[in-house]
Amino acid sequence: MDFNPTAFDVEAGLKSWLALVGILAGVALAIGLLGSFLSAGAGGAVVFASGLTSYVKELLSVSPRRIFALASLTVKEAIRRKALLVFVVFAILLMFGGWFLTDSNDRADLQVSVHITFMLTIISWLILPIAIFLSCWGIPEDIRIRSLHTVVTKPARRVEVVIGRMLGFSAMAISILLLMGIVGYVWIQRQIPDQVTGANANTRNLLTCRVPVYGTMFFLDRQGLPKTSGLNVGDPWMYRSFVEGNSRSRAVWLFTDVAPDKLGDSLRVESRFEAFRTVKGSDESMTQGLEAQYTLVNNAREDAFSSFGVGAGFREAAESLRSGNFENAAALLNSAAERMLTSPSDFPYVDCQQVAIACELQVVPTLRKVGDFPAVADAFEAFGKAAQQVTADSSDGYSGLSTACATLATVLEENAAELFQKMPKIEVPLEPFRVAEFHEGDDYHEYPRKLTYAGDYEATARFLAKVVSGLNDQGKLLDGSDLAATLVDDLAAAGIAEVNAELVEQVLQEEIKAEHLTAEDGRLTVADGGRWLTFFNNLVREERLISQDPAGWMLEADLFDDLVTSDGVLRLEVACLDDQMYLGMARPDLFIRLKDNMFLTGYSKALLNIGLMLSLVIVLGVTASCVVKGPVSFFFTLTIFVIGQFFHEFMLKLLSGEEEGAGMVESAMMMFQHRNPSVGADISEGKRQVMEAVDNSFLGMLNAASNIIPDFSTFSSAAAYIENGFDVPWSSSVLPAIATYVGFLVPCVLIGAACLKFRELEAK
Amino acid sequence: MQTQENVIEIRNLSKVYRDFWGRKKVQAVKSLSLDVKRGEVFGLLGPNGSGKTTTIKMLLGLLFPTSGSISILGKKASDVAKNERIGYLPEESYLYRFLNADETLDFYGRLFNISAEQRNQRADELIKMVGLDHARRRQLKEYSKGMTRRIGLAQALINDPELVLLDEPTSGLDPIGTREMKDLILKLRDQGKTVVLCSHQLADVQDVSDRIAVLFQGELKVLGKVDELLELRDETEIRTGNLSDEAIAEVQAVLKKHGMSEANIQKPRADLEELFLKTVRESGERPGRRFTAEEMAATQPAATEETSDSSASQS
Repeated sequence: MDFNPTAFDVEAGLKSWLALVGILAGVALAIGLLGSFLSAGAGGAVVFASGLTSYVKELLSVSPRRIFALASLTVKEAIRRKALLVFVVFAILLMFGGWFLTDSNDRADLQVSVHITFMLTIISWLILPIAIFLSCWGIPEDIRIRSLHTVVTKPARRVEVVIGRMLGFSAMAISILLLMGIVGYVWIQRQIPDQVTGANANTRNLLTCRVPVYGTMFFLDRQGLPKTSGLNVGDPWMYRSFVEGNSRSRAVWLFTDVAPDKLGDSLRVESRFEAFRTVKGSDESMTQGLEAQYTLVNNAREDAFSSFGVGAGFREAAESLRSGNFENAAALLNSAAERMLTSPSDFPYVDCQQVAIACELQVVPTLRKVGDFPAVADAFEAFGKAAQQVTADSSDGYSGLSTACATLATVLEENAAELFQKMPKIEVPLEPFRVAEFHEGDDYHEYPRKLTYAGDYEATARFLAKVVSGLNDQGKLLDGSDLAATLVDDLAAAGIAEVNAELVEQVLQEEIKAEHLTAEDGRLTVADGGRWLTFFNNLVREERLISQDPAGWMLEADLFDDLVTSDGVLRLEVACLDDQMYLGMARPDLFIRLKDNMFLTGYSKALLNIGLMLSLVIVLGVTASCVVKGPVSFFFTLTIFVIGQFFHEFMLKLLSGEEEGAGMVESAMMMFQHRNPSVGADISEGKRQVMEAVDNSFLGMLNAASNIIPDFSTFSSAAAYIENGFDVPWSSSVLPAIATYVGFLVPCVLIGAACLKFRELEAK
Repeated sequence: MQTQENVIEIRNLSKVYRDFWGRKKVQAVKSLSLDVKRGEVFGLLGPNGSGKTTTIKMLLGLLFPTSGSISILGKKASDVAKNERIGYLPEESYLYRFLNADETLDFYGRLFNISAEQRNQRADELIKMVGLDHARRRQLKEYSKGMTRRIGLAQALINDPELVLLDEPTSGLDPIGTREMKDLILKLRDQGKTVVLCSHQLADVQDVSDRIAVLFQGELKVLGKVDELLELRDETEIRTGNLSDEAIAEVQAVLKKHGMSEANIQKPRADLEELFLKTVRESGERPGRRFTAEEMAATQPAATEETSDSSASQS
């Protein structure tokens, strides 16, 4: 099944619902008016107005007590008609179902899935026929034996009869559902095997509801430039995009709203990637699969400048911006500003347009989001606008571009240190893992909040700046005017290896001696007034802080403090480490898990969705039974259900053109002529036009049907989630189910009430 | 005391039944106009298919008039609010057979938004009134036809209605039930309620109705007070105690003297209903005993006393 949840858009749904109901109401009123004129002649309008007024008056005078009385009567009727006998069938299925399900699969997670599927399926399919039968026969039977006549000669409004019937049958069905659900829950708990086997045996509790958070996704190509998709390995129906092994190619997921209260004190990642090999390899490597690696990245500079260098003319400057060397970037832009006047061909029109787009869509918005650099953002904005003025057939725009570029360089130089401080780049590569070609279940990894990793130059500089400045602020760095004797111990306590701590102490001592650092009032300051980060960054890049520990600078990053951005975004990159191999992935293939919910939570939501489905079937059945007799109503409701459950998606695909094929007449013609869709039917142009007109009218009807027939698969999606061990998401499963039910309930009640009101119960 | 206020006003009412294609099948009611006054018992008579039930159902909004107008309790027939003040006993008691008597009355009481306490009290009174106290817990599907009519009547009165519409009220009832039904109708009239009953049991209608209308093939043929319609203006009936043969001869001589040569003087007879009621009553008092014709005849007048006000013939 496809786990690609899309949150239900209530506003858009409401708008389309109002439009559709408005159209239906208009059609109904037009038919009513026409009928009135046909039956009453010239006085039809008066008759129509009188009927409509009376109808609206009845709708407004509905009494909940009478509805409740009618609903109670309905429940009693269902019970005394032996509807509860369904429990006998249910009990029999439960008694013997276990025989066939236990040990039906070697994998415990699939066994659980089978049991849950079995339970939810029998619950649905046992109650469904009862719901259809009762709802379709209730009112027609009342009319046949005329018990309804006695009711409507009391003050009961006919709309109350309709609502009471719907409510009563729904209450009945939901009561049965609840009872079966409770029994089913106990049965599932007892039936699933105690012995856990399979790949993920020790990694997750089988009866829990995982709560996934899906991110947005994009790819980086082998140059590290962002792309919307990865490589295609030759699959014409490409679902997954592939990243190339041993290159800068990555799949990048961005997760929003990441916070400790949702995730707890760890990061749990689940994925299911597709391994694609270009060489066979050894038996061992075939079994082990491909090596993949997650990297957690907090890279504000990448977010801001990744597209800046798409055009070759600005590539070097973009590299400097991305690496954090803003002074160098300023120098390069200054140089570029001069060359724009002397050699504008180095900055072709296309490059200028690309950099203008990058400035407008990425650089400026990101800098404004960071918020501390309005001058830099303004300079980039001006630069982008100047680049936009460059035209393909004239060099006039380069003068303005050069000026803007020089201004930008000046602003960058002025803010270089601040930019470097506020726009960090921290990359924490996590432990590589294997992606098997034929793997069971998902790959699951759990990482602690405090992550230890081998730092690169920048990370080391940032870490040391943070630790040393922290000690300095606490007054622990100095003892008088000398470094404190406990400094090595304090650094070690911050997670620095002892040999590296000694190195730091030694370098600091040298810097004090060289008067690059000044001791004042028990605090150490950088002599030139610079920042600690710049100070340590220079030391690291001068290679004076090369790790004395063979493992390198093992640093500690806090998941939420260091890797999640201030606006709650976590960036996770996936790379394939094996050369000449490819790793395929799509958006739903990777998710992070929030705190798990109890199985009961997801199970209850699945039952709620089933209850809504049954209630909607009842609503449709009762509505149909207000118009036609029991058997017709039964087949009508059943047909609507079957189409809605199994063919609604197909209808939408046909209408959207996703499902290829011709129109009905054209298809028939091609079948008759033994021709395929690529060549089409062999007919004259005139006939083709007629045929297409007919087909278009059929498509129009199909469009109407797709809007009028409810999508019952909305309800069954919830079961699929818990069958696969997920919690049922509110926004993409429960909410659409509720919206679908309510969306059909309201018009159905109105239609049913109108049909019952304007029909002669005693008509012969 | 009757007033002149009309509870029901029917003007030029017609009803045509049509088939699926809108073609006319039959005209059940033709230009019917009549009024029913508050506090009277109004009988709607006619043979099968004369349009009685169709008229009642149009009054209740179960059928829509083809033309004409209906005002019932000052409202249109299509106005559901009028039902608050109406009680209706259908031709056959169309009730939910899976309910028992208590549940039935409770259910219909709830449709009137009557409070639970009032419902229970009213249901208790009505069940006792219609004589179903012994069977109140049995489902209606176990009831005989007469019992079903009784519970049907009880449900029609659950809201203490101003206007009671009874369609064939004595249909399916035994003579005791019939008598009780008729007594009840009169009791309702005495309470100031208006009763419209339609039936082809002429004797029943005659016994209780103040006014009657006779329909035939959908048309109104006769409308008026029962007493006036049934009075035989050219005959006189004298009723007295038992006379000896000599006394009879003297009476005949007097009548002959006034020109009545063929006066018919004989022992009056009770009707079969009266005989039946007496037998049942006596059997209850003296079980296991069989009555002779003489014994029954000796006390015949007693049987007629109960209904002498309404049924004694003056013609």
